[in-house]
Amino acid sequence: MTDPTPTMTFHPQPTAGTPAPWAFPAPERTTLANGLTVLHCHRPGQQLVAVEIQLDAPLAAEPDGLDGIANILSRALSEGTDTLTAEEYAGELERAGATLDAHADHPGIRVSLEVPASRLERGLTLLADALRAPALPEDEIERLVANRLDEIVHEQANPARRAAKALYATLFEEADRLSRPRSGTADTVKNITRAAVQSFYADHVRPATATAVVVGDLTGIDLDALLEATLGGWTAAPTAAGTHAPVSADDAGRVVIVDRPGSVQTQLLIGRIGPDRHDPLWAAQILGTYCLGGTLTSRLDRVLREEKGYTYGVRAFAQPLRSNAEGSGRALIAISGSVDTASTAPALADTWTILRTLAAKGLTDDERDEAVQFLVGVAPLKYETAGSVAATLADQVEQYLPDDYQAEIYRQLAALDTAAATAAVVAAFPPDRLVTVLVGDASVIADQVRELGIGEVTVIS
Amino acid sequence: MANPAPASTRGLAITEHRLANGLRVVLSEDHLTPVTAVCLWYDVGSRHEVKGRTGLAHLFEHLMFQGSANVSNNGHFELVQGAGGSLNGTTSFERTNYFETMPAHQLELALWLEADRMGSLLAALDDASMENQRDVVKNERRQRYDNVPYGTAFEKLTALSFPDGHPYHHTPIGSMADLDAATLEDAREFFRTNYAPNNAVLSIVGDLDPEQTIAWVEKYFGTIPAHDGKQPPRDGALPEVIGQEIRELVQEDVPSRALMAAYRLPHDGTREADAADLALTILGSGESSRLYSRLVRRDRTAVTAGFGLLRLSGAPSLGWLDVKTSGDATIEQIETAVDEELARFAAEGPSAEELERAQAQIEREWLDRLTTVAGRADELCRYAVLFGDPKLLNDALGKVLDVTADEVKAVAAARLRPDNRAVLVYEPTTTDDAAETEDEEAAA
Repeated sequence: MTDPTPTMTFHPQPTAGTPAPWAFPAPERTTLANGLTVLHCHRPGQQLVAVEIQLDAPLAAEPDGLDGIANILSRALSEGTDTLTAEEYAGELERAGATLDAHADHPGIRVSLEVPASRLERGLTLLADALRAPALPEDEIERLVANRLDEIVHEQANPARRAAKALYATLFEEADRLSRPRSGTADTVKNITRAAVQSFYADHVRPATATAVVVGDLTGIDLDALLEATLGGWTAAPTAAGTHAPVSADDAGRVVIVDRPGSVQTQLLIGRIGPDRHDPLWAAQILGTYCLGGTLTSRLDRVLREEKGYTYGVRAFAQPLRSNAEGSGRALIAISGSVDTASTAPALADTWTILRTLAAKGLTDDERDEAVQFLVGVAPLKYETAGSVAATLADQVEQYLPDDYQAEIYRQLAALDTAAATAAVVAAFPPDRLVTVLVGDASVIADQVRELGIGEVTVIS
Repeated sequence: MANPAPASTRGLAITEHRLANGLRVVLSEDHLTPVTAVCLWYDVGSRHEVKGRTGLAHLFEHLMFQGSANVSNNGHFELVQGAGGSLNGTTSFERTNYFETMPAHQLELALWLEADRMGSLLAALDDASMENQRDVVKNERRQRYDNVPYGTAFEKLTALSFPDGHPYHHTPIGSMADLDAATLEDAREFFRTNYAPNNAVLSIVGDLDPEQTIAWVEKYFGTIPAHDGKQPPRDGALPEVIGQEIRELVQEDVPSRALMAAYRLPHDGTREADAADLALTILGSGESSRLYSRLVRRDRTAVTAGFGLLRLSGAPSLGWLDVKTSGDATIEQIETAVDEELARFAAEGPSAEELERAQAQIEREWLDRLTTVAGRADELCRYAVLFGDPKLLNDALGKVLDVTADEVKAVAAARLRPDNRAVLVYEPTTTDDAAETEDEEAAA
């Protein structure tokens, strides 16, 4: 074949130099006089300091009929304090060049502050005020409730959100908080009042059951004194830490189609539950799951995207849901992505073929090697910013894991063999124990999906 | 100090080099973390596309990952990830970028890979790759734009803002019809025309040895021939203001009414663009902004209300208004309130406190972008490609902090006017009973 491109001089593919040693940062752990646990970590050069506050306010503790109150409280924390109105508080944060985000999830409420190191004191003071003395004003709570009701309508129009909602609803028992939307439904959110939010705050926002994680360039900062002067002023009577009920789920193979007439794509979410990060096989499961669906050269995308063109990308992952100190918590294990409507059944058929082939023949050594090199090698990049280190440390606390957990996972990953990775991913994704949720045009896809034999098909609207 | 500035607004150490074939190279050393970012900007984007071939620059970007003379199909991904690196490429109106962030000891591999595809992509490009990536890109379009509510608003508003035939009239994703029409020969011609060392800037940032790095760049890129096939993009010049409001009503199955608008603003790289950035930040960025306070907090007519800035250097920038209504609020109510707030701001200008807040926000966003080696590498390419000098990066934040309240007021008065905007109004076609709908959760 003649090629019109002018030629260049080619050289052999270069070999790597000597790697620099790197380890996941080890935090220092202290406790303030008010009982607040503090983890901190100095990261030279990271001028944006990240602060994560983990509050023991799990969704399972929400009062009956008030699903979503933890979410409303998390937003209300930044709607004014004993000295600042809601607008003034927002203005002061912005003046400090800070951002404050809060969200409520099954393990608890997380409040995340990012602020330039030069203004850390101002940022911590504002954060402490929000935790210590939030005004929780009536009119702002009303507005947050109304806002939330509007958002629910928008989320309903989003195929990925709808798929997740349907999966959780079918996977878990109705009585388990996990089965219901994290931020509540219209029926529960509309009943949330200021009094209920104040009461939820009083019960769950207490320093003795909370943890603060501070990461960034702390050069020249007397952190202990700064924390005592800010977060140290937050007081409340100590309380017993919450307990977390065991999780069970029905993962018998079945299909739920959420009808979305006219959809040009079908959103796929194929899931079940498995052990959480306490499981001794967690590192092997990370490795095997990456080989299945971690990137566009993994098994799923190699076929669904790069051979067939059915999708922009499909990913396999595991996400801890609710953990406990005993280590019997659970994680959602899933495959997620979207495919053009006409390719729905063919893409599912290929997915099951990939899973069955994986179970029958296992991973190859080359796949294992490339995955380990990526997962371990990419760690210095993944944890370059203060925010990513702080979030990981706070996750560990929230999931009852030791502070050196992530560092230990990297040590394990480097040593795992192909058979261990295969065993873990095959155990995580058994083809007959997967619940498939499809958000798409049922009139086009339902009959073809029934013929696949991946489980009984139910259509909901 | 009243509002002490972040320490790291100090400048980066930047050096520049040029190979004989015209490739510009920018280096910045930083040994804090053992990682190195490689970023390559080609001076070609969707503005260089011609009628009937929209989306070609982006489709082509996908083909750049399908192998070259010494790299197998998908080998680029396999080799970078197998070395512990991360990578991607993106296409915008004005440029296409490719980037790898590597463990420092793997830098040479990234340079070898980028050079191989710059010099020899056509040796591997075939029909199978073209057909496959055409399908992938069509699914990308469906996923990101066609299958989500308001998903095509960006495309519609861009088309209203820039007249038919203008190089920025269409967005980088392109139309389905044009994606279907693109041929393998179009892709080859696109490469021959636009992909050349003298139409690119390579930046390398992080834990590197400058002499060794330049030697590698010379070794791998030095023999790729330059060529001058590329034509300048079509002229994007337009009058400073539109002169009359342009308006389109969309009736679709969306969850609520929406008022979106694009205002024609000064070109990126000018002091006036920085003043416009501050104006939009004060009006519509964050929960203390004027539009949020008015519409979401006080009137309670909106669930979200904000302004964003799409900086463009080869055509007027766009100020992007996005308001989604709450409950039964009407577009008329929203529009009246927005116009009142914009008129008041144009008449009064910002308060000293508002300006200080906006400058602190922009400063933090800037720190955030420069906190990673990849972010720095991308910004260096941006200043080199769009404005001719990567060292402008070190002055960029200072320029924003130097803008005065009068300048902010002046740009608002001149540009944030009803006769200088394209408006897109969404009215839902169905009225779902909101009480029956529920929230749901993200799984990933």
